[in-house]
This record gives sequence, structure tokens and C-alpha cells, in this order.
Amino acid sequence: MSGGRQVIAYGWRQLGSELVLQRRALPGLLGCAFLAALPALLSGRLVATAVDHGFLAGRSDVGMAWLSGYAMAILVAAIGARQVPIRLGLVVEPLRDRLVRRVVHAALRQAVAGHPDRDAGTVARLTKQVETVRDSTAGLLMGLQQVVFTVAAAIVGLFWLAPLVAVLVLAPVVLTLLLLGRLLVMLVDRQQEVLVADEQVAASVSGLAATVRDVVACGGQDRAGAEIGADIDRQARATRAITRAGALRSAVGSTGGRLPLLVILLAGPWLIRSGQLSVGGMLGAITYITTSLQPALRSAVQSVGGSSTLLSVTLHRLATTSASPVAQRPAPAGPPIESFDLTADRLSFAYGTHAEPIVSDLELTVRHGEHLTLVGSSGVGKSTLASLLVGLTPPQQGTVSIGGVPLAEIGEARLRRMVTLIPQESYVFTGTLRENLTYLSPGATEAELDKAVDAVGLTPLVDRLNGYDAMVGPGLTAGERQLISLVRAWLSPAEIVVLDEATCHLHPAAEARAEHAFRERPGTLIVIAHRMSSALRADRILLMDGSRPVLGSHQELLLRSRQYAELIGHWHDVTEEESKCGTSS
Amino acid sequence: MSADNHGTGTVSALLARTARQAPGWLALLFLASAASIGTALLAPAVLAATVDSLLGHTDATAKLTLLAALLGVGVLAAAGTEIAEGYCTAAATCWLRHRLVGHLLALGVTGPRRFAAGDLASRAVGVAPQLGRAAPLLVQSAMNLVLSLGALALLWSIDWRLVVTLALVAPVGLALLAMFARDASLLVGRYQESQSLISTRLVDALVGIRTIRAAGTVERETERVLAPLPELAEAGQSLWRGYGGLAWRTALVGPLTTVAVLAIAGQGLVTGRTSSGQFLAAAGYAPMALGLLNQVPQLLSFVRLRVSARRLVEVFSVPAPRVGTRVLPPGPGELRMQGVTVRAQDAVLLDDLDLVVPAGQTVAVVGRFGAGKTTLAEVAGRLVDPDEGQVLLDGVALDEVAPASLRREVAYAFERPALLGTTVADSIGYGCEDAAPQLIEQAAAVAQAGGFIKRLPAGFRTPLPGLPLSGGEAQRLGLARAFVRRSRLLVLDDATSSLDSVTEAQLSAALTGTSGGQTRIIVAHRVNTAARADLVAWLEDGRVRLLAPHRHLWRDPAYRALFETPLDQR
Repeated sequence: MSGGRQVIAYGWRQLGSELVLQRRALPGLLGCAFLAALPALLSGRLVATAVDHGFLAGRSDVGMAWLSGYAMAILVAAIGARQVPIRLGLVVEPLRDRLVRRVVHAALRQAVAGHPDRDAGTVARLTKQVETVRDSTAGLLMGLQQVVFTVAAAIVGLFWLAPLVAVLVLAPVVLTLLLLGRLLVMLVDRQQEVLVADEQVAASVSGLAATVRDVVACGGQDRAGAEIGADIDRQARATRAITRAGALRSAVGSTGGRLPLLVILLAGPWLIRSGQLSVGGMLGAITYITTSLQPALRSAVQSVGGSSTLLSVTLHRLATTSASPVAQRPAPAGPPIESFDLTADRLSFAYGTHAEPIVSDLELTVRHGEHLTLVGSSGVGKSTLASLLVGLTPPQQGTVSIGGVPLAEIGEARLRRMVTLIPQESYVFTGTLRENLTYLSPGATEAELDKAVDAVGLTPLVDRLNGYDAMVGPGLTAGERQLISLVRAWLSPAEIVVLDEATCHLHPAAEARAEHAFRERPGTLIVIAHRMSSALRADRILLMDGSRPVLGSHQELLLRSRQYAELIGHWHDVTEEESKCGTSS
Repeated sequence: MSADNHGTGTVSALLARTARQAPGWLALLFLASAASIGTALLAPAVLAATVDSLLGHTDATAKLTLLAALLGVGVLAAAGTEIAEGYCTAAATCWLRHRLVGHLLALGVTGPRRFAAGDLASRAVGVAPQLGRAAPLLVQSAMNLVLSLGALALLWSIDWRLVVTLALVAPVGLALLAMFARDASLLVGRYQESQSLISTRLVDALVGIRTIRAAGTVERETERVLAPLPELAEAGQSLWRGYGGLAWRTALVGPLTTVAVLAIAGQGLVTGRTSSGQFLAAAGYAPMALGLLNQVPQLLSFVRLRVSARRLVEVFSVPAPRVGTRVLPPGPGELRMQGVTVRAQDAVLLDDLDLVVPAGQTVAVVGRFGAGKTTLAEVAGRLVDPDEGQVLLDGVALDEVAPASLRREVAYAFERPALLGTTVADSIGYGCEDAAPQLIEQAAAVAQAGGFIKRLPAGFRTPLPGLPLSGGEAQRLGLARAFVRRSRLLVLDDATSSLDSVTEAQLSAALTGTSGGQTRIIVAHRVNTAARADLVAWLEDGRVRLLAPHRHLWRDPAYRALFETPLDQR
């Protein structure tokens, strides 16, 4: 966590650069704020005149006339006050738009770069933080408007009424503002602690809901209760700390508002005797202080103290949580690719320096048009190998190449068109069925769609939904979602298709039909088997067993690998339908 | 627990108990805010007297000193109020959260079935502090009322005409402000809708991130997620227009009232009825008296408070199961279910079920989806209590056994285990914190988890949070956690479903080798699991249709049909 000072500096810098972007909305905002401060500028002077020349001179009508002037100023100010939030919206809404863009952009890019913690909770947190920035920017600008315009207007008005009095008042006000500035650093630190503690409590409680069955089953209630209790207590401590800091801030603010009053009253006898101040002038000066200066200082303390702290802290946290990973540089077009043979050369990968490798020195060539199936027990690293083969995970040693060109040199966009990987968890977004099916082939015609749907076996769903223009989204079964993903891959221009347990929610017959459709489709097919029956359909099979994979046809493996024979044997023993999808990493 | 529940059964009782959490700070809050109100009411009067002395060229030193003292005390009292408020709120919030967590732990599986995880988090994070503020809010609004009424009385003492003026102006102000409140909630609703539209799309995309990554379509997805942004911006702008409506009304009501009061006070100056100081004091009291208008929104916030309280009472009023006190005496591990009935809102999950699991034997539980298999597993080790009937382990009713004793003797593994603790080893030993490292490694080996744990970056010491585990890997850690306990009864609820058949067979063999007379209940979908068990309990509609060895049952086509279609339609 960074110190308060850096965080504040960061927050103000950010706010500054955002305001520069919205500079065209600023003059309007300033103009309206000026109008809204009109009573603060005129109040004391008008009251002084009304008293001196009107009420105390026995001329009620004159007094009333000056007071109506005051009322007029209030009416004009109301017009300004109405416009201030609207103009503020013109500054703040585009700022929010930019933040939402940045957050969505970063969340997706971080997830693509493989950050495991980008989940629904993160989204909720980011949404809340963006809203906090929006609200506190508005609050801060309102507060600043009050400090700058109302406080300044009151002091200018005082100068106009009695320059010497204004000088006397100015000193405590400036002192207060300086002190408040120093307090800000402490407040920011406290605020940061509160935000972190709040998030922790939210995470702990929703975590408890997800795990309580297991906690109870393990008899871990005491431990879980103590762990969450510690988070709750920490949050309470953080709240108390910020309460103390807040009270100090308010005390400084209200002292700053009251000192000028005492100063004027102390100097009062001399001011009146020396003719510096009339009776009306005295009343007017006090009016400036009590009706403009004090309330403005109070709300400025609340909003500048509160909002700017919150703003700095939230902006800082947003920046740290939504930093976009370095954008993928657009790789040069790369050398031309003659064939689509996929080759792994001395390929090695492990999840940690002390971890047993998933693959080590793997040599493998999958010819264009070939159908290869990966089999092996769960957790052996089939999905990782698939990720390595399509370039989604960079190898630690060795290379993967297509047509002799290493994947890293092909260029991301070109590679993604060339290779399609369909994972277990299918992605069906809210949109029409057509949009979902043509996700990887936006130009596909109706006839091509029909052909793909028929081949893969999605026709019943299309019929049920009455065509391709039906909206889909939540409400489809897992199997239907997988079929949609499969049609999508079938239609894609990819020369190499990898199905990573992409058929695990289908019935065996439906799975067979889908795999058959991909066999008939030109290009290479790599299947990570969910059922052993997938192996029987393949040209060759790669059995993964620790770091020593075995490659061969079904017949060869039956002879060469006892483990393969076991896998197949068990498959013969056991009915097929039982196996289910594991959630893959 | 039950006594506690009694105390928080109603909204008012909960509010009262919450308010009592920090009596010392509450007393300080009362004193400080009373002092704060007192000084606020006295200050304009003393100011008036001071100014009159000054203008009358008499000695104002005493009055000025009094004023300075009043203002000083006012500052301190306000700071004291703020601190006492914060401390009261923090104590009450903290107490509510501890209670919520404690109650959730006592409820066990029942809690998350009634309330979603996000919902519970929002009750803990959002609702608890609202309720925690109950006492300070009450003190504050009572004090505000005193302030406004006091200011009215003091205005009356200066000139009754001033109060009449206020009474004439105030209703106009009230009407103006009420007009705004009606539109505001509509606008806020529209804004939040567009907001959640974007969030939903983003969550969808994050769920499908592997596809997006493999397709290289992250740019397109970003635009798709952001498509509702213009709508959000438009809703935001109309919200600001709404605030503009509130702003001009507030800018008008307060200041114009003050001017009206000054005009009347000015007439008093002309006739000599009012002194110059009183003219100032009138300007000071008018806004305080006008504060009465704000009492209406305050009342509304009390209504909201009761709504919040109800959201917590909802959770607290779900009764926690009774806590037993007996230590389970040694025994062979015979489980007996007698007339067990479990009901959900509109269904009977187990219907007067009788079942005896003989000591040291393995019983496979099979049946169609919805037959009650998981419920039976939950009842067997008292994760839920039956609505009727009882469950006895070695002759002792489970609800009489002390939780610590019960959890030592009954171990569970689940289809989707939630892994707890800090590291892989800690997750296996969770709840048995005294388990030796060898015991943990042994349990992992039996669960066939040793191999993949070795491939993790730091083996058994690999930190758990954020560790990507496949379904099969998580299941094996869950199994190891159950094996570590060496319990009398082991309940496996579909706990090997994500394992391939080879691993599952290896695990079975390893488990048979370490049996040691453990009684086992295994909910399973695989035919070979049923075949390996001593007995199969075939469930249908919440009852045991047949209890017999697999080879006897296999002759029945209806039994065979259980294994011929995909069973997992969940």
C-alpha cells in the first residue's frame, strides 16, 4: 500500500488530467458556480446598507428595497445552482465512461493473460469503485466550487464592506485551509485501510457461504469463525481510526469558521470607535461570516476532505487493479507458411521449478489433415499440452511450429485464425444464435450455416428456436452450449482444430456424430478425450503418463502400453456414460 | 444459540440489542450532542448581547468571553459527537457481523440454501452498518428536533411575528422538496439497470475467457461488453438534471426564508422592538428552525432502517440445530436410520426412510436424480437434521453427540469439495490441525493425489488460493481430507465422479487396503462402485426400494436401467 502523500498526489494528478480532457465543459461550470455564489458576495453589503440607510434611519421602505435586492440575488443564484449539477454531469459522466472502458478493457486482458482471480466478485468490486470515483469527483468539484467561489465571494464582499475587517478574517481562514491540507494525508491512509478491510469482510462472508458445508463437515467452525472474526475486528478498528481522523478534520474546520467571528468582535470596540465600521457594517460583516463563510467552510471540509480522500484512494486502487497488461505488439506478417504440419520440438513445461514436468523433451509431429487423440488420467496435463500446441501457453523449453515456422513468429491474429481451440466450458453470449455461430467466421452464408449445423447435429435446437435469429443466452443446457461452440469451430477458417473435452456434456451418440463431423472437415483435428471411445476414432493416439508420453495407433498402443490396455479394459468393463466433465484448469 | 435467537426474533428486539452494544459510547454521544445543541442554541443569543454591548459602547468583555467559551465547547462537543457516533456504529456493526457469521456457521448447509452467497455478503457489508447506525441516528434526529424547536422558541422570544413568517414560508419549501423525492428513485433505478447490463456482459465474457483467448477476439469482446455504455451515460445525465432540480430548490428555500425573517426583524429595528443584536440572532435562528423540514427525510430513513433490520432478522430467525453434548462412546460404527423424513419447501426429499448400515460394511447408494441420495448422505452425518425420525450411530442419536466428537467420527467427501486453508497440506488437514505431515501425505497417497501434488510448484506447501485445480484434482484433495480423519463412518457423496475410471479403480483398491473396519456410505453413479460395495441401497422417491448386494439387484432390468442413461442431469 502506498503512503497517503503519494496517493493524494496521484489522485490530484489523475483528476487534473481528466479535467483537461473535459476542459470545454469547465467554463460553463465555472460560470454557473459564480452565479450560485452571488448571495455570498452581496449578502453582508446589502444587509449593512439595509440597516444603516433603512431600518436604523427609520426608513422601512429603503431597508425593504435593499433586502429585495438580496432576494433577487438569491433567485439568480437558484438559476445557477440548478445548472451546476447539470454542468458537473458533463464533466463527470465522460470521466465515468472512460473509467468503465478502462476497467472492462483491463479485466478482459488480464483474464486473457491468465490471471485466475478475475471473477464475478471482481466485477462487482470494480463497478463499485468506478461509481465511487464518479460520486467523489462530483463531490470534490462541488466542494472546490464552494471553497473557491463562496469563501472567496464572502471575503471579497468583506473587502468591499470594510477592507481592514477582511484582512483580520483572512488570516484564520487561510490557516485553516493549510491545516486541512496537512490532515488530508492522514485521512487518505485511514481511508485506504477501511476500503481494504471492507473488501476483505465481503470476500470472507461470501466465501463462507460457498464453503460452510465443508467447514461443518470438517468440524472447522471454530477456526473459520476465528479467521472471519479477525477480518471483522480489523474492519472495526479501521472504522474507528477514520472516525478519529474525521473528527479532527471537522474540529479544525469549525474552529476556522468561528475564529473570524471572535476576531471581529474583539476588534469591534476599536473598529466602531475609529469609524472603520458602522452599526450596519458590523451586522453585515457578521452576516458574511455566519451565513456564507461558516457553512461554506463546513461543507468544503466535508466534501474536500471526504470526497478527495475517497477519490484519491479509489483512483489509486483502480489503477493498481485495472492496469492493462502490455498490449500485444502486432507481430510482423511473418514468413509465409507452406504447410500446416504441427511440430513440437524438445518441448518442456512444468508449473514450478520443483514441480514434476507436464512434458519434457516432447517430440511430436501432427500432419495436416491428421486426427490425433490425447488420452491419460485426469490431472496429467492434457489441457496444458493442448495450450502449448496452439501457442496459448508459451513453452519453457523447445518450440512448437506450424509448417516449420515457430508459433511466436507467426503473429497472434494470424495464428488465431489458423488454429481454433474449443474448451470444455463453452462461451455462449447473449445475442442471436447466428451471431454466436458465426463468431469465428463472420461472413458465413445461410447455406454454410445449414451445412455446419446439420453436420454437427444442432438442427433440433435451431428448429426449436425457429431459426438463427432467435436470441440465446442463459437457459440453454450445457450440451446445447457445447454444440453451439462446436458448430462455431466447424465453420471457422482454422486449419487446426483442438477439442479440449469439448463434447463432455453430450451423449455418446451425439459426441460420436460431432467428432465424425470434424473428421470429415478438411484440416487437422486434435481431440482431448473425455471418453475412451474417442481414441478408437483417431488416426493416432498420444497417451500421456507422467513425463513419458507414448504415441501410436490404437493397435500399437494395445501392444506397447499396459496402461493403455488398462484404460481400454476398464472402458470395456464399465458402461461409458458415467464419466463426466471435470472442471478443467 | 436458541436463547440468542429468541432475543433477536423481532425487528424491534434486534434494533434494541444492536443499540446496546456500546453503552459507554452511547452515553457519551448523548452528552456530547446535547452539549453541541445547547451551545448552538445559546451562541446567537450571546452574540446578540455582545453586539448590542459593543454598539452601546458598554463593556462587552464578559459576554465576549462567554461567547468564545461557547464556541470552543461547541467545537469540542461536535468532535465528541462525531467520535461517539463512529464508535457506536463500529461496535454495533462488528457485533452484528460476528453474530451473522456465528449463525451461518451454526446453520451449516441450511444457510446457503436459503440465501445466496452474494446476498449474504451484502447483508454483512451493506445492511449491518446501516443497522449499526440505528442508535446514533435516533439520538441525532432527537437532537435535531430539540434544536429546531429550541430555535423556534427563541425566535418567538425575539418577536412572535418571525415565527409566523416561518410558518407561512415553510410549507412552500416542503412541497418543493417533496416533488423531487418522487422522481429521484425512478432515475436511480434506470441508471442501475444499465450499469448491471454491462456487469452481466463482463461476467459472461470472463466465464468464457478461454474461448475468447483461443479465438483471439478480446478486442471485439471489449466492444460487445461496452455496447450499453451510451445508455448508461444518458441515464447518468438525466440523474444530474434531477439533482439540478433539487439544487435550485434548496438554494431557494433556505436563503429566501432568512431574507423574509430579516425583513420582519428590520421592521422591528425601525420601531425599536428589536435590537441590532437580535436582528443578527434572528438570522441565526431561522435556518436552525427550518431544519424541521429535514425531519421528514429522517423519518423515511427510519422506515428504511426497519427494512434493513428485517433482512438480518430473516437470517437470524432460521433456527440453528441443537448442539449435543455427549461424547460418542467407542463402537464398531453401525448406522441406523429410523423413520427419517426430510422436507424441502414444496417436496419430500426423504419419506419415512429406514436403513441400517451394518458396522464395517460399505453401502453404495444409487437411484435416479431426485431420489434423495445426497439428502441421505447429509442426514447420515448430521449435516442436516431430519424433520422427523432419528439417526443413530452405534446406538447414540446424532443430535445428542457433541459436534467435536461427531466430526472426529464421521468424515465426508463431496462431488465439488470446497478446499479450505492456506496450503495444499493445510487443506487436507483442515479441522484436524494436529494431524502429522506423514498422515497427510499418506491420506493424499490413498486418494491418488500424491502424483499431481508433486507436480505443483511447491508440492504440499503450494499456497491454495488461486491454485488452478481441475475437478478431478479438487475431488482427490477432498478425499484426502476425509481419509486423514480415520473416522468410524465415511460418507462419499459422488466424490469420485470427476476421476477417470483408472484412477477411480486405483483409489478403490487403495481404500480397500486401508479399510480397518470403517463403515462407508458411497453415493455413486458408476456400476463398478455399486458392484464393489457390500450392499446397495436403491433409493426411489425418498425411500429405500431395495437393500441387497449388487449381483442380486442386477437381475432386475429396472435396476440395470439406472446405469444405462446418463444419470447426471444436474
